[in-house]
Amino acid sequence: MIDPKRLFFLFLILCGAGVVLAALLPRRANRVVLAWIGSLSSLTILWVGGAVLLSGQAWQVDLWNIWSLGPMVLKMDRLSALFVFIAGLVFLPVSIFSASYMNLPKYVKRYGFKSFGIYYHLLLAAIVLLLVAGDMLSFLLAWEAMSIFSYLLVNYEHEKEDTTKAGYLMLSLGEAGTIAVVLAFFLLARTATGLDFPALRAAAAGMGQASAWAIFLLSFFGFGVKAGLVPTNIWLPLAHPAAPSNVSAILSGVILNLGLYGIVRFNADLLPVKDIGAGAIVLIVGSISALVGILYAVIRNDMKEMLAHSSIENIGIITAGLGAGFIFRIAGLPALAGIAFIAAFYHLLNHSLYKALLFLGAGAVDYSAGERNMDRLGGLIRVMPWTSLFFLVGALSIAALPPFNGFVSEWLTLQTMLRSVELSSMGIKIIFALCAAALALTAALAVTCFVKAFAMSFLGLARSPKASKAVEVNRSMQAPMAILALCCLLFGILPTYVIPVLDNTIATFTHEHMVDELVPPFFTAPQGNARFPQEFVSEFHDLGAQVGRTFLPGQGLVVMHRGTEHNPVVYAMSTSYTFVVLILLMGGSLILFRVLTRSRKVDRGPVWAGGVRQLLPKMTYTATGFSNPVRVIFEAVFRPVIFDEMRETVAEHFLIAVKSQRQEVYILERTMFSPLARLGRWLAALLGKIHSGSVNLYAAYILISLGIVLIIQRLM
Amino acid sequence: MWEWVWEGIRSGIVTTAYPAREETASGVSPGFPTDLPRTFAAAGEASVAASCCPTEALLSEDQQVVLREPRCIHCYRCLRQTETPLAWQWQGNYEWAVSPHPRVELAKKFGRSFRRSLHLRILDAGACGACLSEIEQLNKPYYNMHRLGFFVTPTPRDADVLVVAGPMTEHMRQPLLSAYEAMPTPKAVLALGACAIFGGVFGTSFASMGGVASLIPVDILVPGCPPPPLAILHALLALIGRVEPAACELNSSSPGGERGD
Amino acid sequence: MAQGLSKNHRQLDLAEAIAKRWHWKVNVSCDTALSQCYVECDRNQLLELCRWLIDDMDYALGSLIVEETNENWLLRYVFYGEPDSEAVHLGLRLDKAEKTTVPSISPIIHAADWQEREAWDLFGLRFEGHPRLIDIVRHEAWPAEIYPMRKNFDGSQPGPHPPVERPFQPYHVVQAPGAFLMPIGPVFSDAAESALFLLESVGEDVIRIWPRFFYKFRGVEKIAEGQAVDRVLLLAERFSGTSSFAHSLAFCQAVEAICRVDLPSRAQALRIVFAELERFRHHVAAIAGICNSTALAVATSQAGILEEEALRLSGTLTGHRYLFGLNKPGGVTLDLNDRQCEDLSSGVQAIFLKLARLYDLLRYSSSFLDRLEEVGMVTKDQARNYGLVGPIARASGLARDLRQVLPYALYSEISFEVPQEEEGDGYARLRLLFREAEQSAKILQKILSFLPPGEIAAREVALKPGAALGWAEAPRGATFHWVRLDEQGRVRRYHLTTPSFTNWHGFHFAAEDFAYQDFPIIMASFGLSNAECDR
Repeated sequence: MIDPKRLFFLFLILCGAGVVLAALLPRRANRVVLAWIGSLSSLTILWVGGAVLLSGQAWQVDLWNIWSLGPMVLKMDRLSALFVFIAGLVFLPVSIFSASYMNLPKYVKRYGFKSFGIYYHLLLAAIVLLLVAGDMLSFLLAWEAMSIFSYLLVNYEHEKEDTTKAGYLMLSLGEAGTIAVVLAFFLLARTATGLDFPALRAAAAGMGQASAWAIFLLSFFGFGVKAGLVPTNIWLPLAHPAAPSNVSAILSGVILNLGLYGIVRFNADLLPVKDIGAGAIVLIVGSISALVGILYAVIRNDMKEMLAHSSIENIGIITAGLGAGFIFRIAGLPALAGIAFIAAFYHLLNHSLYKALLFLGAGAVDYSAGERNMDRLGGLIRVMPWTSLFFLVGALSIAALPPFNGFVSEWLTLQTMLRSVELSSMGIKIIFALCAAALALTAALAVTCFVKAFAMSFLGLARSPKASKAVEVNRSMQAPMAILALCCLLFGILPTYVIPVLDNTIATFTHEHMVDELVPPFFTAPQGNARFPQEFVSEFHDLGAQVGRTFLPGQGLVVMHRGTEHNPVVYAMSTSYTFVVLILLMGGSLILFRVLTRSRKVDRGPVWAGGVRQLLPKMTYTATGFSNPVRVIFEAVFRPVIFDEMRETVAEHFLIAVKSQRQEVYILERTMFSPLARLGRWLAALLGKIHSGSVNLYAAYILISLGIVLIIQRLM
Repeated sequence: MWEWVWEGIRSGIVTTAYPAREETASGVSPGFPTDLPRTFAAAGEASVAASCCPTEALLSEDQQVVLREPRCIHCYRCLRQTETPLAWQWQGNYEWAVSPHPRVELAKKFGRSFRRSLHLRILDAGACGACLSEIEQLNKPYYNMHRLGFFVTPTPRDADVLVVAGPMTEHMRQPLLSAYEAMPTPKAVLALGACAIFGGVFGTSFASMGGVASLIPVDILVPGCPPPPLAILHALLALIGRVEPAACELNSSSPGGERGD
Repeated sequence: MAQGLSKNHRQLDLAEAIAKRWHWKVNVSCDTALSQCYVECDRNQLLELCRWLIDDMDYALGSLIVEETNENWLLRYVFYGEPDSEAVHLGLRLDKAEKTTVPSISPIIHAADWQEREAWDLFGLRFEGHPRLIDIVRHEAWPAEIYPMRKNFDGSQPGPHPPVERPFQPYHVVQAPGAFLMPIGPVFSDAAESALFLLESVGEDVIRIWPRFFYKFRGVEKIAEGQAVDRVLLLAERFSGTSSFAHSLAFCQAVEAICRVDLPSRAQALRIVFAELERFRHHVAAIAGICNSTALAVATSQAGILEEEALRLSGTLTGHRYLFGLNKPGGVTLDLNDRQCEDLSSGVQAIFLKLARLYDLLRYSSSFLDRLEEVGMVTKDQARNYGLVGPIARASGLARDLRQVLPYALYSEISFEVPQEEEGDGYARLRLLFREAEQSAKILQKILSFLPPGEIAAREVALKPGAALGWAEAPRGATFHWVRLDEQGRVRRYHLTTPSFTNWHGFHFAAEDFAYQDFPIIMASFGLSNAECDR
């Protein structure tokens, strides 16, 4: 067994080597070498994270003691380890993918690979350091580094105006969040003896209610910016299309998680929320984010913008799960709280996997077709079969269809929401009901969204010359997608192996183990299981539910929530069995079909299209057309601005053009940021008035301010 | 709402009893000239008498005139517009669908499973509208072909029978071929009306090919211009072997048997 | 007699006005018997004359007839106006030798759009200034330089089938992200006639519709050439089976006008009987179609019963359910005896009573009305600009009816009402169909009660060379048949302008900015026939 601590330093050395090599190596070798280094460093952190997750042995490294601020500490507990592990899972395929992807002419010709290599490895190091930071100072330093390097990577195509704009918005909003985080830390550290986390945790115990609320609000806002929660996620849908696809994968798969990590670290670990109102805020913000995210995801036609909005949706679902956990925990229902946290973390893990997969898929399409607008794609399944398959797996996962991973976590989240009946407060119950409804709608719209994404891009006819000229990407781009797709399947069919690990993780802050609530050792040890009535157990036994025991070690394959005596099982499901049954059914039907039609001649005719001589691409459904019903139904949300609607005619009656352009301004930009920007400009104009340029007046200002300061001094 | 229910009940059942019993109402069929075997004094006289027919449905054979039903378009000229009215009777029969194949073979084509569920795709290859109107009547209360298990489907993918009406216009040639290709086997083709059989009054020209049989093999022909609904019903029943097709001679000028493939 | 005089007088006025206005440069001749005024003009005066007729005189374009002689192209623009004003024919003679272009009147009279496109497609006449001279009759499979109506084209044999040179590129106008064309047809729906409808949309709502016709093009005009009159009569009555009597009537009237035959009044009265019976049946069928399109099952069945009863009534009395074989130049082929007249009268009355009952039920079915009201709107201005005819134009407030404008048969001697509705939506068209059916039933009652005695056809129709226009108000609107006979009494040129052709041109107004599911309703409320349009 290699010491995780040493491996961790190996990781840091690898990152350093990556930076140095990126700066020194000649162009040609650059990409491949860096892909290797990136993959190796990802593997090391996978190992490190995995080791800590499984063994539960946290390690700590004390760095320097800084005068008056205390020691800088690196510490990896299971919570950190989980996020490090996820980061490794995303970085590994992305590193491999980047080698070929960065080969795109638009990148090679203008920007080169040097800067990308440097920032990439620095970002990786910063992210991991942030996750293992054990005190406020190193946390904030790593946080800033992460913000800056991610900005630099998003802004890779810095000669494009849109990109720079998106980058600045990301950076400025991120910094606003950072300020809030810093303030929250200051408030927390005010009474603490040191700046390391144990000291802060100790200080939090005696925190007053007002301070606790202030810290909660500040940290939730600050980390919410990074996580992409409503209302501060306006940067996210702009940053994603601007960034290269591999960076997008990291942005959605890793960096958004960091915001959630911050929220969990702060509000569950350092200063656990004590007020049920705070939990409700988290729940509501999460649900609204989910709904707003998916609504915009449905109507957007740029693949990456759509995925960005879908990230907002998923982060919203995770946050709603966390909120539910907070509420249950405060309401004294630790079992439900545990399940809620497990659901949230499971979804977080899943989202990183399939979103990275989808972004890599979008990247492959962009790489091959040079087009991301789904209105102009189509028919790619014929030319890019593997990419299509992997994208389909990602789409099925994100649409929460069994047996893929998205189903398990979304199912658990929704089930947890329904358990709100156990709560006593009517108000909270109503909030839960509304949020559950919002999440259910979200889940339904997600299916619409990804049916559109897959069908309009990969099926049908190519709607542009670019799409018809696309070819399959090479193996080094397929392999990373294959890894992620396989993970999506495995995490989907083996939830009983994932849940105990997640349970251990959440135990770092809940200090209770809930694994028996979800994965009871029921089928592995049918006898002597006091939790369930014997006849019930034998009934299940008769159904053959114990089959898994004979060839799989561990906890069985059924996720089951225990209830009261009257109702021993609240809910139960098994994606593993579903998977097996699906395979049997589909395979069986296929075999049956083959056998039955063996002797028959099968005619394959062209598509029947009403007898038109040739079905033109112009005659097929577009992505805009597909999503238009949603656009019409939710018009109150989208408030589309129709501009440039014009009918051009010749000789009065000959219509030659109907032009119309419709734009849906993002709801937050419309309702919050534009008014804020107007207010800012108005204030600036007001302030501008006092700058007359006259020296005398400035002298007077100084005099007046001096007077005010003196008066304040006097009063205090 | 209730008014409609009442209205539906009030109007009762009007559906024809065919094929269980013969339909006796008048005006259900234009009919064909009968009483043909009349002997003329000379062969020339017979051919003069036959020349009143614009579509050569009347043929003089020696001193007699015979009728080739598939070519008759009910113009009534032999009855109303001849110099010496031939005083032929017109009879309102309608069981006149003919097939190049005998009943046994027709019944074999679809087998028993189609006897009460046969789906039709109607293809308009230049029909004047009367044929289509008569087909629509089949869907309506008086004939109601659903009771016999015949259904119209919007796509040839689900169709067992392609009902082709019209003289097969040049522009519908390709749609017809692709519709025929799109149909699953077993499939049959029904040529509906004089136009689909031999081109009708439009014949063969630059714009129409004079019948369906020049493109695809035809299994049953329904003469008439337009064939009345009962004749179409008879053809459909004959197609699945439930009734005997009419014993009518299909000679060389009425295609359908030409292409055996 | 007095009426004839005053008409004569007005006609001279019109001729004088034209001659005066154009400083005697144009050649004006009037023919009272044919109630037409022929103006021979040249290409420079054409546009001006057309504009004057349309704007100042409130005439409408009826037809554009192209004829080919050895040296010339003869173009004839037929205009018709208010009741009892004669038709105006503008004649334009163009030399064939030079590379001929014709000034297009479409920019000022939009009704000429399709007519000019058809002439371009069939004759290769290039209309100068036509904004969209793209093919309409010839589909992509046609070789580019073959114009089927030219004399040098032999239309008797099916052509070879060369590979398609120019693939069909549909015309479309919507320039919006995500816009697409949804193709419907040419093989679609249950028993729909073949035509391709391209629905331009960005999802949900259809912005504009581009119908493509002539899938059923049988070349009636071409195959009629060189045929005997009685053969062409078969074509005339059978190219559109659901309005066969009206078309055979127009054709017979054209031949009778050429040969100057006077018809016995019984023949004329019987023609009215059959024409109104056909209109009545057609309208019942159209109402059944509308009920069917709104998926109102009981009403569809009820209307279907009435339609079949009307068909059986026709079959019983005339032998043919669709009234084929009743007309011939010089009269009709079938007489009705008193008993039959009574049967017809009572039969029509019985059907009409049931129809009125159905109408009462429909009027109070809100779910039915919801789907018709404000669906498929055509305004009066649009109808006028596009020269729409028949029930569609009358439902939009444009009450023009050839039975009144250019009375034929005995229509000038019987009084009847031409119903009119203002709204121009689907419901207005439905109401109009009911009201017209009522008028037809009334006309039938009236004329059947005193059928004039006498012969049912002129004794002798001596065919002469010449040309004339025949017209009739078919169930779907005005139809014009131009017939030219040669020395042998064979048809030299036969030109058809049908109400379906005229009205399909304006169909896109009704089908603009509508929801997909309204498409069948709009189609049914228009009730047009592609067979009539495509010929």
